[in-house]
Amino acid sequence: MTDLAGFWRHTPRLTALAVAILLIAGGLMAMVSEKAYRDERAGDVEVQARILAATVTAALSFNDRNAAGEYVAALSASPEFEAAGVYDGNGRLFAAHTAGGMLPVPQAAEPLGHHFDGDHLTVTVPVMQDGGAIGSVSLRTQVEPFARRAERYVGMALLLAMTLLIVLVLGAAQAALTRANRDLAEQARDLSAANGALNAEIAEREKVEAALRQSQKMEAMGQLTGGIAHDFNNLLQALASCLQLVGRRAKEPSIQPLLETGHQAIDRGAKLVQQLMAFARRQTLRPEPMDVRDRLLGMADLLTRAIRADITLETQVEPGLWPVEVDPTQFELAILNLAVNARDAMPEGGRLRVTARNRPAIGASGDLVQVTVADTGTGMEPEVKARVFEPFFTTKEVGKGSGLGLAQVYGFTRQSSGRVEIDSAPGRGTAVSLFLPRTAKPVAAPAAERALDTARGAGRRLLLVEDDPVVGSMVAAALDEIGYAVLRAANAEEALGLLTDGDLRIDLLFSDVVMPGAMNGVDLAHTARRLRPGLPVVLTTGYSEDIARIEGVRVLPKPYRVGALAELLDAALGEGDAQDGSSGKMPPRDPLTLTLSPGGRGDSSGNP
Amino acid sequence: MEERPIRWGGPLALGLLLVLAGAPGPVAAAEPLEAAVKATFLYKFIAFVTWPQSAFATTDSPFRLCVEGVDPFGELLDRVVAGQSAGGRPIELVRRPRFERGSGCHLLYGTVPMDRQRGEPVLTVSDADAPGGSGAGAVITFVLREDRVRFVIDAAAAQDNRLAISSKLMSLAVRQ
Repeated sequence: MTDLAGFWRHTPRLTALAVAILLIAGGLMAMVSEKAYRDERAGDVEVQARILAATVTAALSFNDRNAAGEYVAALSASPEFEAAGVYDGNGRLFAAHTAGGMLPVPQAAEPLGHHFDGDHLTVTVPVMQDGGAIGSVSLRTQVEPFARRAERYVGMALLLAMTLLIVLVLGAAQAALTRANRDLAEQARDLSAANGALNAEIAEREKVEAALRQSQKMEAMGQLTGGIAHDFNNLLQALASCLQLVGRRAKEPSIQPLLETGHQAIDRGAKLVQQLMAFARRQTLRPEPMDVRDRLLGMADLLTRAIRADITLETQVEPGLWPVEVDPTQFELAILNLAVNARDAMPEGGRLRVTARNRPAIGASGDLVQVTVADTGTGMEPEVKARVFEPFFTTKEVGKGSGLGLAQVYGFTRQSSGRVEIDSAPGRGTAVSLFLPRTAKPVAAPAAERALDTARGAGRRLLLVEDDPVVGSMVAAALDEIGYAVLRAANAEEALGLLTDGDLRIDLLFSDVVMPGAMNGVDLAHTARRLRPGLPVVLTTGYSEDIARIEGVRVLPKPYRVGALAELLDAALGEGDAQDGSSGKMPPRDPLTLTLSPGGRGDSSGNP
Repeated sequence: MEERPIRWGGPLALGLLLVLAGAPGPVAAAEPLEAAVKATFLYKFIAFVTWPQSAFATTDSPFRLCVEGVDPFGELLDRVVAGQSAGGRPIELVRRPRFERGSGCHLLYGTVPMDRQRGEPVLTVSDADAPGGSGAGAVITFVLREDRVRFVIDAAAAQDNRLAISSKLMSLAVRQ
């Protein structure tokens, strides 16, 4: 195709060449034809001259001018002969004939041979006798005039002209066609480019629409869950109040366990509602300027506890990281949720990497701080990835996760004016990035909790009983920081196992009240008192401090701050030292504003 | 259109004719001029006549030109044939008072009747104006027409003598 196109691109030049060749060939043919005609003509006339010469031999020999004249005159029968002459051996004119109106032959003999003079051809041949020339004969004839000859060439010339015309027309047509082809190809290219652009635009639009649909879906879910959570919150509050009233009025001891079960149910419901609120971004945040670096480094212990020993934790924080303004507790919870998910995604062990770095503004978005939790786990299928932020979506077995962990991450980040991104593929691990807006506000001095007097707690051994691994890890980390050596138990039975070990030194028991299993925190407290008399016990609960009120046991209402916990533990230790049992203070309770009770139990990460 | 360049002044005309005919040597008088033309004609006849093969003994036998009786040419004839040949054969000039049959002549000029030479391969030439008689029975007879030397050819005599005379020569002959 290209060869052909290249060939046709030379069409104008080729056409000119063809025209030139045709013209030259035509001219050559005309010349050859002219020469052939002349030769033929000369030959014809020479034959005539020779005949005449032969006939006048005797007349010339015998000086018979009359006879010679008759022979010569006989030529007048042919109109083509203009003049003829017979010359004797001395070159003198012997006999002559001249057609009417024509020039006579010259008096002296002409040289032998033939010559053209314009339209006249003169042929001179010798008169031979016995092998010797006895004179000569000259014959002058009219050659067909050039105009008449040219007429014979008109046909040929016409043919040539037509051929030239055809060649020219073909050449021009081919050139036009080539040009048209080129234009067409160009248009096709343009069209193709336009089509490509259109396709790209369509794809982009589809992507945007999909993103919009997803966003709308999440929004709708948020509204739905938010509305349900709100209503359930009210219902639970009313139910809790009812149970409290019933508990005050009903002195029948047998009714107490029933009330306690109800309270536990309400406690669980409150936890769920709390998580739903987090996803619906209706939870009450207490944002404050925060140094992500301090917070992440401070969480290192907590994270180490949350993950298993076969998982390596790496924390990388860019120097000069900008501060952000978020709720620190929710932030820590989000990181913890992600860490637990990552842990569950790496059943064979691996590496958990927590990184934080600045992301300078690009376009409309302002400066951001990116916090990424990445694992080397199993990764996710795209369809799973698309749904992980939906509440109650989980890939874990029933009972292993609530499907609200990533929903909390999503809700918290969105409520903090940030966004979440997931990068994951099967076999390539998962990286979840939180993009939080930078704040201009100065970061307050390091948390007051750290400045606590840890003198009493230092070196003391504390048994922490908490069924929620996230909360447990966080509390353990906080207590560890204060100075306690923390022992962990996930439920009452596990704690009892530790308590019965007489060799194990335990200075203080801190337990949640509501726990799965046969025993709750109150039962555990009683049993512990029995097993280890004088052991200070601190219970914590969201609302049922009435039923948890046991002689010598302090109750810490949720939510609590680490400072309050430290204070209470300190007091309990001091009391225990003094063998004094009095209940702790009872701050107002609000079961539905728990901040340390979300169930980030390693759920909804999409890890199988 | 018949050309008659010269009507009068015979001697001059004859002289010119002689020259045109390519006769060698200058000629001074009128009589000798006529004789010179005739002498030349005698020689020139040879080229237009074909003799039978039997007329010559061998392929290189000489051509015998005989003059019988009174010789009107004299030296003129000798000059005409000097150095010439007849179809490759040398020309032998023979002058005798009388030639009988079988005398070996190929061309015989005489003014006596030529009947005796009938049947012989001899081109007999006579002269109508000769003083001694016309030599009747000759194949070719010189005549004068309009002051010019012409000749009459007796085709029958030529055929009798087994001579083939060229049509060219025949076309130049005048009628009796």
